[in-house]
Amino acid sequence: MGFENVVKRLTPRHRPFAQGESMVAPIGFGIVGILLAVIGASAWWVLRTQRASVRAARLDQVHTVCNLLSQSAEVMMARKQLSSLRRLVAEAGREYDLTQCRIVLPSGQVVADVHPSGITFQKLPPSWSEVSQDVPADSSNDHVISLNYPLDVPGRGPARLELTAPVTYPSWSQWEGPAGVGAIGAAALAGLLFVYRRTRSRLQGMGAIREALISLEEGEAVAGALGVSANFGPEAGAWNALLSEREKLRQQIVTDRARESVGYNNETHRDLAAACNTLSQGLMIIDRKGRAKYLNGAAAAFLQVDRADALGKDVVDFIQEQEVVDTIRAGFAGSGFRRTSVEVDRGGGTSGVLRFVIRPARGTDSAAAVIIIEDITQQRVAESARNTFVAQATHELRTPLTNILLYVETALEQGDSDPALRDKCLNVINQEGRRLERTVGDILSVAEIEAGSYQINKDDVRMDEMLGQLESDYEAQAKEKQIGLTFDLPPKLPVLQGDRDKILLALHNLIGNALKYTAAGGQVTVSAETVGSRLVVEVTDTGIGISEEELAPVFGRFYRASDPRVAETPGSGMGLALAQEVVRRHGPVRVRQGQHVHADAAAAGGGRTR
Amino acid sequence: MRIHEQQHGAVTVLKVDGPIVGVDADELKGRLLQAQSDALGRLVLDASGILLIDSKGLETLVDVADEMTKTGKALKLSAANETVRQVLELTGLAALFEHFEDANSAVRSFL
Repeated sequence: MGFENVVKRLTPRHRPFAQGESMVAPIGFGIVGILLAVIGASAWWVLRTQRASVRAARLDQVHTVCNLLSQSAEVMMARKQLSSLRRLVAEAGREYDLTQCRIVLPSGQVVADVHPSGITFQKLPPSWSEVSQDVPADSSNDHVISLNYPLDVPGRGPARLELTAPVTYPSWSQWEGPAGVGAIGAAALAGLLFVYRRTRSRLQGMGAIREALISLEEGEAVAGALGVSANFGPEAGAWNALLSEREKLRQQIVTDRARESVGYNNETHRDLAAACNTLSQGLMIIDRKGRAKYLNGAAAAFLQVDRADALGKDVVDFIQEQEVVDTIRAGFAGSGFRRTSVEVDRGGGTSGVLRFVIRPARGTDSAAAVIIIEDITQQRVAESARNTFVAQATHELRTPLTNILLYVETALEQGDSDPALRDKCLNVINQEGRRLERTVGDILSVAEIEAGSYQINKDDVRMDEMLGQLESDYEAQAKEKQIGLTFDLPPKLPVLQGDRDKILLALHNLIGNALKYTAAGGQVTVSAETVGSRLVVEVTDTGIGISEEELAPVFGRFYRASDPRVAETPGSGMGLALAQEVVRRHGPVRVRQGQHVHADAAAAGGGRTR
Repeated sequence: MRIHEQQHGAVTVLKVDGPIVGVDADELKGRLLQAQSDALGRLVLDASGILLIDSKGLETLVDVADEMTKTGKALKLSAANETVRQVLELTGLAALFEHFEDANSAVRSFL
């Protein structure tokens, strides 16, 4: 594990072995090391055994010599044959390579010695002390064998044989065993190397695969770094094939993801383009050179250009609004674009008012600005109409209020003295008060319609009573304006299911309008008839009428006909709009060309009449 | 077939009286395209007077609606009668248009 850790920590460039050797080399080194250790141990054991054998043989030899000499010495000393004894000792010393061989009496006198100079006692006495002395212990080592043999000379006394022999180890035989072991080991090593050489490539292949797996675990993903040489055998080939397959799969995945991403981006781009084209606002992107990079269909329509032609062109070449062009040029000339809004009135007709909102493009290097174009013509028209309405409504409120105050003042000042004048004042105050009430009601109704809270509360509505009340209300006004007011009503009118107040409001507006826009000497006729389950009320006048083009818009809120005679007469432009809304909620309403206003409301209870 | 052109503020309202059949459809198509171009898409087709519409008429309305869709606009139909509504529903073309109860409501939608 330690070796593996070292190998793992080393980068391929710094590894001490070639590819695949990380596994093979330790095995080789291990086997060689063990083999050498075995050879060494075997040689040492053989050498040791040989030395022990040599020493044992020498010891046996020395003991044998000692036995022979001791037996011979005891006989020869008993017979006083000293010369023979000394000759025997000298020959034994020479024959058996003894460094010391002598016969010593208990008194220490040497009777015979392998070296003649060592003899200290020339004549053997008849006897000597019978007390036997202690024989010194043998002292031997690996190189010398020293023996002391006790002698018992019959009839004379004890003696001892001292013998010292060197142990000589023959040099050739000492190294013969280790050399043999070494030779055998060398042969085994050679065989091992031979086998190693034969299997190395296969083992290297496995080692290389193992190294690749370790690298893979460490995060290496490049196929080139993980591959092994094909010379390492079939395992290496299989491994490389696996890597190749893995690389193909990886590339396929990357390619698929790229395709998916590109496809998704393209799809998203198409979706965005389609979404931009559904915008009613114009959208244009300007690049950093002032060219149109993108514009949607609405932008092309507002700018009255062909999209394909406009793309890539300098925007100042096809934007006709000078104020917008100046703003764009200022954006490029200055420190950059800032959010700017430019409203351009293209003049009369339907060209209208366009609002150009110019914004800097954020988060992109290619686009400089985004221009959003809005058509605000209708909003401007509505604003104008509202302004007119406010002015007219103010007038509509102020006029009856002024009249009320004036007649109240007159009644207070002169009423006591002139009862007829007081009655006239009160009548006018009453009429103006109801006019004021209707105007306020109109304004509130318009506000409710705008807020979506306008509601119809249906109940029984007696139309004969309502029309009678209206006739009474407008009789004086018509007489004052010298207009003939006729209510052409059938003897019986149905009872409607509807909102009385609102129907009354609608009829007030219709009849009031008719009287308002009919000159003196004219005629206003209110007729009603039951058609099936419906009640049709017609207000016909001989007034200024409505042009065909304005038949529909005249029902728009705050709309006033373009006839200059209409402009001369105060009005809020709400009356017909409210009347239409009321009748629409009860049933259809139609306007016929000319002087007819035709309201058609459903009668209740399947045409119930009274 | 008669075509009445009215201006409601900045909005052009084309009111058609009579059936849209045969060659009338071509005339209507020309008027609608011209009006939508002039008014920058502020256009309402008041269908209250359209009593009948044939395949040619439908094709005309679809063509105009497609043309307006290119500029982010929609053809606004107002007060279409039950017959016309059913024809549009049955042919699956109703979604191409914006429908309003009356012309004023359609005009207000431009605010």
